[in-house]
Amino acid sequence: MKTYILQRFIQMIIVMVVVMLVSFIIVELPPGDFLTTLREQLTEQNVDPKVIDSTVEMYRARYGLGENWFIRFGKWAWSLMKGDMGYSMQHNRPASELMGERLSLTIWISIATLIFMFVVAVPIGMLSAIKQYSAWDHSFTFLALLGVSVPSFITALVFLLLSVTLLGATTVAGLFSPEYVTAEWSWAKFVDMLKHVWIILFIVGLGDTAGTIRVMRARMLDTLGEPYIDTARMKGLSGAKVYFRHALRVAINPIISSIGLRFPQIISGSTIVAIVLTLPLIGPLLLDALLGEDVYLACSILVVLTLALVIGNFLADLALAWLDPRIRFEN
Amino acid sequence: MNSAPDSEKVLDIRNLQVSFRSIAGATRAVNGVSLDVRSGEIVGLVGESGCGKSVTIRSIVGLVPSPPALFEDGEIWLRTRRGMTETLSLHKNTKALRQIRGRDVSMIFQEPMRSVHPMMTIGKQITEGILEHEVVDPAEAYDRTVEMLDLVGLPNPAAQMNRYAHELSGGMRQRALIALALVCHPQLLLADEPTTALDVTIQAQILELIRDLRDRMRMSVLLITHNMGVVANLADRISVMYLGRIMETGTVEEIFKEPAHPYTHGLLASMPSLFSQPKTRLQSLRGVVPELAMVPKGCVFADRCPHVMPKCDETPPVIELRSDHSAACWLYADVGEPRGAPAVADQPSLPGDRPPLDSPPRVETIPLAGSEPAADTARAAPAGSEVAQLQIESVALHYPILRGLLRRQVGTVRAVDGVDLTIRRGETLGLVGESGCGKTSVGRLVARLVEPTAGHIRFGAGGGLEEITHISQKEMKRVRRSMGMVFQDPLSSLNARMNIRNIVGEPLMLHQLAKGRAVDDRVGELLEMVGLRAAHQSRFPHAFSGGQRQRIAIARALATEPSFLVADEPVSALDVSVQAQILNLLLTLQQQLNLSMLFIAHDIAVVRHVSDRIAVMYLGKIVELGEARAICVRPVHPYTEALLASIPLPMPGLETLREMPKGDLPDPANPPAGCRFHTRCPYSQPVCEREEPPLRPLAGDADHFGACHFQDELQLQGVEEIGELGASQ
Ligand code: SF4
Ligand code: SF4
Repeated sequence: MKTYILQRFIQMIIVMVVVMLVSFIIVELPPGDFLTTLREQLTEQNVDPKVIDSTVEMYRARYGLGENWFIRFGKWAWSLMKGDMGYSMQHNRPASELMGERLSLTIWISIATLIFMFVVAVPIGMLSAIKQYSAWDHSFTFLALLGVSVPSFITALVFLLLSVTLLGATTVAGLFSPEYVTAEWSWAKFVDMLKHVWIILFIVGLGDTAGTIRVMRARMLDTLGEPYIDTARMKGLSGAKVYFRHALRVAINPIISSIGLRFPQIISGSTIVAIVLTLPLIGPLLLDALLGEDVYLACSILVVLTLALVIGNFLADLALAWLDPRIRFEN
Repeated sequence: MNSAPDSEKVLDIRNLQVSFRSIAGATRAVNGVSLDVRSGEIVGLVGESGCGKSVTIRSIVGLVPSPPALFEDGEIWLRTRRGMTETLSLHKNTKALRQIRGRDVSMIFQEPMRSVHPMMTIGKQITEGILEHEVVDPAEAYDRTVEMLDLVGLPNPAAQMNRYAHELSGGMRQRALIALALVCHPQLLLADEPTTALDVTIQAQILELIRDLRDRMRMSVLLITHNMGVVANLADRISVMYLGRIMETGTVEEIFKEPAHPYTHGLLASMPSLFSQPKTRLQSLRGVVPELAMVPKGCVFADRCPHVMPKCDETPPVIELRSDHSAACWLYADVGEPRGAPAVADQPSLPGDRPPLDSPPRVETIPLAGSEPAADTARAAPAGSEVAQLQIESVALHYPILRGLLRRQVGTVRAVDGVDLTIRRGETLGLVGESGCGKTSVGRLVARLVEPTAGHIRFGAGGGLEEITHISQKEMKRVRRSMGMVFQDPLSSLNARMNIRNIVGEPLMLHQLAKGRAVDDRVGELLEMVGLRAAHQSRFPHAFSGGQRQRIAIARALATEPSFLVADEPVSALDVSVQAQILNLLLTLQQQLNLSMLFIAHDIAVVRHVSDRIAVMYLGKIVELGEARAICVRPVHPYTEALLASIPLPMPGLETLREMPKGDLPDPANPPAGCRFHTRCPYSQPVCEREEPPLRPLAGDADHFGACHFQDELQLQGVEEIGELGASQ
């Protein structure tokens, strides 16, 4: 078990280093010196030349520009780790400032979506399998098919349309009511967010939830056909014990191991929804940065998202090892 | 509802009828089965696959999902702690059913590998059963579980409590499952093919355990199996089932010595036994078990019965031949005495003597061209026997075991570890051993499907021997023309999307032996040669039964007129009657075409039946090699003796009292030092743990090789030559 965790941990570090290297190469690729560009930009904006000089000098020192590449990489990586995400050309602000709130919101919404998906999909999928071919099964099989096939931005658009035409909403949806959008974080703002967030969870999570229902149903059906379920039944166990104690823990395995993979899906899914619903998430910012060739910003976002993904994967692996003795004993 | 049966009976099934509904309509899987099990008795329910055994036994405890099953008629009375209970009526009352399961009746299943929960410790799984039925504190449940694990012969039972399924071998899992089933002391154990998935030596151990526990725990057992040998060894009474009906019921002696029903005859005659005349046709039943929807009216066996008569259009009554022996056949319709036909009761019976049926056995779907292999040609040395067809020398196949992130090599599986073999022209060499012994790898090495780690393979395609160990794929293609292959699972080895003409004709086209119409003609010829219709060329594999698919695979293997055939477990996936047909076919073809053959199988009785010489393999090495009969009559290696002793003989009373091999097969990645068999060998001496015995000829018999230090001193027991008598009658 210990070696297993250690292995996974080392794997995680390796992935992180590779991602950072790739990001770094992308940052370094564009022709022309970053500092020249910066100076030009600041001059165009009529900034005080002294300030320009000092800003440029500060970046030169911080990123070790002019030194050889691995020192530059080291400095860049180090500053990233300290939370300095670099400077956005497009927005003229440090990247971390731009990301700040959006990043944490994105992560929270993703986690909430995952939980939503789990809580909704696992019981529904399980019951569909237990009551195979029942009305319940047929309706959810149909709904899940619908959920898988309808892209989330359509759901978002439909939702927009409904809220405008039926509910007469004037503000287009968002994460907050208009009065809270710029307000400081407070209890009231939090409550306001909760009121809005479930719709977002629903829209973002619908596709994944529907997919998970299908996976859960299929896995549960497979598991219920296994001979060890007959063994459990022949002990005289009640249905609930057979389903929960014996079948569920085997059937749920692939869903847990797929958590790590769902994370990027949710983020890309939420990006489209966030664009449609104008949500302050990280996805639209990344898209913006990519379109505007804002390399520092884009790479920082990529690195941070990768980190989140890799950690998510690591946690999923741990959960799996804890649940499944076969993995625990492999090493 | 009728009255409860007398209390001597633990189980009484009366006229059970179960149908399955599907879109195609209802088919009746169980059609009026009556069966009882008395106190302390082991009853065997035998029959080929798809005859309704499993549905019958699962109906007792409500394990048949309904729908789609429909229980149309019948009663199942079971002795429970509350007296006789009718369980069919409980199917909707899950609570009452649950109280019976595990407490009054338990069940063990066919696949021990998959019947233990993979993510729960053995201990937890067993104590769960106790806690479900009894009010005991967990500590007591724990102690009782350890005790039970000890009783079923698991070594170090306390340590097993915390182990998981994947840490146990198949045999150990089946022991754990038996412990699980018996921990609440039920009166009846239902065993659904409990040893089918296990190796023969392990099967012997489990059968022994069931018999032993029956006595110790004073329970009854209802055992279903397709293997006549298993019931002969274990059961007190037997019911033979075919297509949802009981054909014959009787004590084990009567069923084997005086079988009355033509189906029972057929089953017994189909089995190659250790006593039958080798290389002779088995008296197989013709045809195959029909689909349930195609069951004949009247007697369900009518389309395969050699004695069928007009009367058989009506359902035959169950006729009492004497107390405790009954058969459902019109042959016995008058006074219960056999009338005319198989006059079986009065024949002198010898063990292994199958009373001849009085009409010539109609064996194949189409009568084969060519003659039956005559017994004496078979016994004489094969023609041109001194010319080698295939020679392998010190061949090894090692696989690295890779672990971890960097796929580090942590060990080596020595699947084949230095094997020498020669197959002469026209000879059949049988290669026998348990799973993991490397026999399949040898077959794959010979066909160059895997690259050997070391050694030489020489093959005589046309003229003399030619080294093929490392020749290129292009050259190998030429060699393969002379080398056919047949595998165990005919379905997966045939491309489902190709029709039969293309499957069988593919080698012809590949080797440019024929084109266009010529392919059709040759394929037609080949199909007829293997007993299929030439007209079936345009069909696809799924339209054929398992036995027919194996015929197709054989036709394909023979398309290029090879002189050599590798047959890897060609019959082990087939029902007994079909197995006999395929063995007959192989024998006939071998004689007709003067084929040399490497015949690989786990069943030494089957191997003995078709082979001239036998090589016995254990953990990657050949431990004994010699003439087929000599090996079976006077084995010189203790492992061969163990294999022979483990085969359940279809001969009640002739129980083997020989010492069974202990324990499990060792891990092939880590074979024991010295003699590889020493961990299980009853004759092991200190020297065996140190020195590895080489394969060397016996003193005074240059054709018989053994790899045991004491092969010249030990007096090992084989099987006697009773078959000579039986066959010569
Ligand atoms: S009833 Fe007729 S067909 Fe059936 S087994 Fe007897 S003789 Fe054969
Ligand atoms: S060498 Fe020793 S351990 Fe090996 S088979 Fe012979 S007696 Fe048994």
